[in-house]
Amino acid sequence: MTNPIKQSHINFETTVSNNSMSLQYDKETIVLPSQWKNKSPILFAAGLALLVTGAVFALFTQGADKSDGAAAFKFVTHSYLANFMYVMTIALGALFFILVQFVARAGWSTSIRRIAELIMSTIPFLAVLFVPIIVLLYANSDALYEWNVRENVHSSVIKAKIDVGYLTKNYFTLRAVLYFGLWALMGAWFYSQSRKQDESGDIEHSLLRQKWSGPCIMIFALSASFAAFDWVMSIDADWFSTIFGVYLFAAGMMAFFATMILINAGLQKAGKLQNLVSVEHFHDMGKFMFGFIMFWSYIAFSQLLLYWYGNIPEETYWFAVRLKDGWQYLSYGLIPLHFAIPFLGTMSRHVRRNRPGLVFWAIWVLVVHWLDMTFLIMPNAGPFSLIPLAGHLLGGLGMLLIFFAFFLVRATNVPLVPMRDPRLPESLTYANPIL
Amino acid sequence: MSEHKPRKTSEPKPPRSTGWVAEFSNEHALLEAARKVRDSGYTKTDAFTPFPVHGIDEALGIKPTILPFIVLCAGTTGLLTALLMQWWMNGVDYKYIISGKPFGITPASIPVSFELTILFSAFTSVFGMLALNGLPRLSNPIFTNPRFDRATNDRFFLYVDAGDRYYNRESVKELLSSAHPDSLDEVMEDPSPTTLPRPIWLGALLLVLTGLIPAMIVLNMRAGFSDLPRWHVFFDMDFQPKKKPQQTTTIFADGRTMRPQVEGTIARGQLTEQDPFYLGWDPSKVTLAEVRNPILVSTQDTAAQDPVPAQDPIPATEPAKAESAADANPAEAKPAEAAAEQKPADTAVAPASQPPAAPAAGATPNLPWIDRLPIAADEEHMKLGKSKYDIYCSTCHGYSGFGDGLVAQRAASLLQDTWTPPSSLHLDRIQKQAVGQIFHTISKGQGKMASYASSLTPKERWAIVLYVKALQRSRNATIEDVPVEQRSQLSESK
Repeated sequence: MTNPIKQSHINFETTVSNNSMSLQYDKETIVLPSQWKNKSPILFAAGLALLVTGAVFALFTQGADKSDGAAAFKFVTHSYLANFMYVMTIALGALFFILVQFVARAGWSTSIRRIAELIMSTIPFLAVLFVPIIVLLYANSDALYEWNVRENVHSSVIKAKIDVGYLTKNYFTLRAVLYFGLWALMGAWFYSQSRKQDESGDIEHSLLRQKWSGPCIMIFALSASFAAFDWVMSIDADWFSTIFGVYLFAAGMMAFFATMILINAGLQKAGKLQNLVSVEHFHDMGKFMFGFIMFWSYIAFSQLLLYWYGNIPEETYWFAVRLKDGWQYLSYGLIPLHFAIPFLGTMSRHVRRNRPGLVFWAIWVLVVHWLDMTFLIMPNAGPFSLIPLAGHLLGGLGMLLIFFAFFLVRATNVPLVPMRDPRLPESLTYANPIL
Repeated sequence: MSEHKPRKTSEPKPPRSTGWVAEFSNEHALLEAARKVRDSGYTKTDAFTPFPVHGIDEALGIKPTILPFIVLCAGTTGLLTALLMQWWMNGVDYKYIISGKPFGITPASIPVSFELTILFSAFTSVFGMLALNGLPRLSNPIFTNPRFDRATNDRFFLYVDAGDRYYNRESVKELLSSAHPDSLDEVMEDPSPTTLPRPIWLGALLLVLTGLIPAMIVLNMRAGFSDLPRWHVFFDMDFQPKKKPQQTTTIFADGRTMRPQVEGTIARGQLTEQDPFYLGWDPSKVTLAEVRNPILVSTQDTAAQDPVPAQDPIPATEPAKAESAADANPAEAKPAEAAAEQKPADTAVAPASQPPAAPAAGATPNLPWIDRLPIAADEEHMKLGKSKYDIYCSTCHGYSGFGDGLVAQRAASLLQDTWTPPSSLHLDRIQKQAVGQIFHTISKGQGKMASYASSLTPKERWAIVLYVKALQRSRNATIEDVPVEQRSQLSESK
C-alpha cells in the first residue's frame, strides 16, 4: 500500500515502515506543561467559589433595591443559564470543528486538532453543570422557565405549547438528555478514534471518521439548533426565531476559535508544541475568528431585519425588552464591540500573524461573547442594574475557570498532538500564500 | 503600393533580448534556483509552474501586494456611497412612505450598503489585480520559446527580466546555469510586427461607417427641411378608417360620432348595474343621485352618518344619539341598538314602490330592496344554498346561524379584543331584513365581513339567502309548520 502523503516536504526525519509512518520528535513538547498539571482541582474550587460568591452577591444586591426575593432568584437563575451557555457554546464549537475537519478532509488543522478534541471532550462534564437547571424544573420553579408552572402563564400561545406537551419538564429533560447523549457519544467516538490512531498510526481510523462525519454533522446541526430553542429561546416562550440556533452556533464558533488561540498561545508560552504549531496555524485560526465575527453579525442582523420590517408586536417585543430599562446600552454596544471593532481589528493579516495581537483580539472576543450571552438571556430577568451584574460577571469568570479545569482533566497524560495522524506532515508544511 | 517598398527593404533590427529563462523538471529545483536568484538581488523575476507551488512567493522574494489596502478603500467607498445614496434618496430628495417606516438610514439600508461594499470591493480586486499585473497583455516574448509550452504541463520555468536594475546578460546566464537547469535560453523579442494587419483596420473602419448610416438618415430627417410629404413607415396605423369620440361625422343627422343608447336596451357590461337579480334592489325605482349617497355610507359602515340630511333631519339624528350612547356605555348597547335597527328594518320591509326619500339612518343603506326571491324556492336551490352556506358562511356564523362558527370560537378563546363577533342570523333585526338586503350584505360585505361577490355567483348568493331564510324560519316554527303525518315522530323523539 502506498502512502498517500507526500513526504518530500517534511523537515523531520521520517521513517516509513509497512503502511504506517512515524516522526522523530521531542516527546516532551507534546505533553501538558508541568506547571499546568494538577491545577484542575484548584481551578475547579476557585471557579465554584466564584460562581457561588457571584450568585450570593447578585441575590443580595438584586433583592436589596427590589425587596423582592423572587426577582432576585430569577436574576440568579438567568445568570447561571447565561454563564453556562457561555462555555457550552464553546464546547459545541469544538465538536463542530472536529466534525467539519473530517467532512472537508482538512490537513492544515491536524497539529492543533487534539486541543479541539480535548475541549470537545468536556461536554459530558458540562452536562453535570446542566443538572441544576433540571432540578429547578422539578422543584416546580418558574424562575427561569415561565412555562414550568402553567397556572402562572397568561399567554395563550405558551399555554398551547405546554398543552401539546412540548414545553413540559419531563419532555424538556428527555430532550436535554438526548442532546447531551448525542454530543457526548459523537465526541467520545471521534476522540477514541484519534487516540487509537496515536497507538497504531493506522489510516483506517481517519477514513472511518471521514465516513461518519457527514451524518454526525447533520445530527449536530439539528440537536444544537433545538437545544438553543429549548434552553435559551424558551425562557421567553412567547417569542420565536427560527434562526436562533444558528445565532448561538455562530457565536459559539467565534468564541471557540478565540479559545483555541489562547490555549495554543499559552501552551507555546510554556514551551510546548514547538515546531508543531506555527504562525500559519495561528493565522488560520485568526481568519476563522474573523470570519465568524462577520457571520455572527450577519445572523444577528438577519434576525433583526425581518422582525423590524414585519413590525408585528408578538415578534418585536423581544427587541423592545432589550432596548429599554438600561439594556439598550448593552444592545447598541454590541454593534461596535461585537462587530465593528473586532471586525476591523482582525481584518489585517499582519495582526493575525502577530501572536500578541491575536491573543489580544481572542480575549476581546471571549469578553464580547459573554456580553452577547448576557444580552440574550439577562434582560428577561428584569431591568438593567449594574451592581447585581457584577455578581453575574463573577459567575462568568467562575464558569470559565471550571471549564478550563475540565479541559485540564482531559488533557492530563494525553499527547497534545496526534503524532501518528497521516495528515500531520501536511499540517506541518502548510503555509499561507503571501498576498 | 509602391510607396511602401522602402520600409520593407529597410534593414531589419536584430531581435532584442528581454531576459533569460531556465527550465527545471521539478519544483524543488525551481525553488532552489529561485532562492539563488533572489539572494543575488534580482527583483524583476517570475516563475511559471503547472500547479501552485507552496513557498514560491517567499523563494522569489515577492513583496506583499498593496491590493488589500486598495480593496479596503474601495469597500469603504462603496459603503459610504450606499449610505449617502439612501439617505439622500429616501431621507431628503423623495420621501416616500414604505410600510410606515422612518425616512433615511434604517436597518433596511444595511443590505444595500453590504451589497455595494461587496460590489466595489470585488470589482476593485479583479480590476486592481489586472492593473497591478499589467494585464491584459496580448503577447509575451517568452512565448517565442517553443519549450515554454510545457509550463502548463510538466515543466517549471524561472525567468529573469532584462529590465532589472542589476541585470547583466553574462552574469545572469552564469547564475542560472549554476542551478543546473534542464535548459537555459535567452528570451528574444518577438520579431513579428506589433501593429494590426491593414485589412483588419480597414474592415473595422468599414463596419463603423456602415453603422453610422441609419443614424445619419434619422438625424437628417429630424433636423432638415423637405418639400416632400412626411414619410410614414406604417401608413395604415397612422391613418385608420375609424372615428374617435367627440369627432363629427356626416353619416348621422346630428353630426355626432358618439351614439346615444337605444331605448329599451342595456349596454354591454351594464346588466349587473341594472338588474335587481345582481343587486338585491330595484334601480328603476330610484334615481342615480338618490342611490349614490347611501351606498357610500354603507361601505364605510358608519351608523351615525346621515345619508340624506336635508330631507328629513329628525329621524336621522335620533339613531345617531342612540348609537353614541351605545358607544359610551356598552351595558346599554342592546336597547339602543334595537332602537336604531327598528327603523331601517321597517322601511326595508315596506313595499318597494315607496321612494327612498325619507329613510332612517342606519348601518345599512335604505334602498328599495326586493322582497321576493328572483329564484325558485325549490329543493335544488335549497341544497345549493346549504352547501355554499356551509362552505363560506358557517366558519363564522356557525352551521345553525348563531354566530358560533369555529373561527369565531377560536378568536373568542384567544381573547382578541380587536375581534368583532359575527352576528347571529336569528337576531330580530336580521329576521326582519328583506331578502334583497341579505343578498346585498353577502355581495358587498358588512362591517368586518368581507364581500363574497368574487367567490359566489349571484345565483349561489340567492340560494344562500333562501337557506338563511329557511334557517330563520326553523327557529320560529310552530307545530303547524310540520306536516301532519310527521308530527307524531317529533313527539316520539322528545
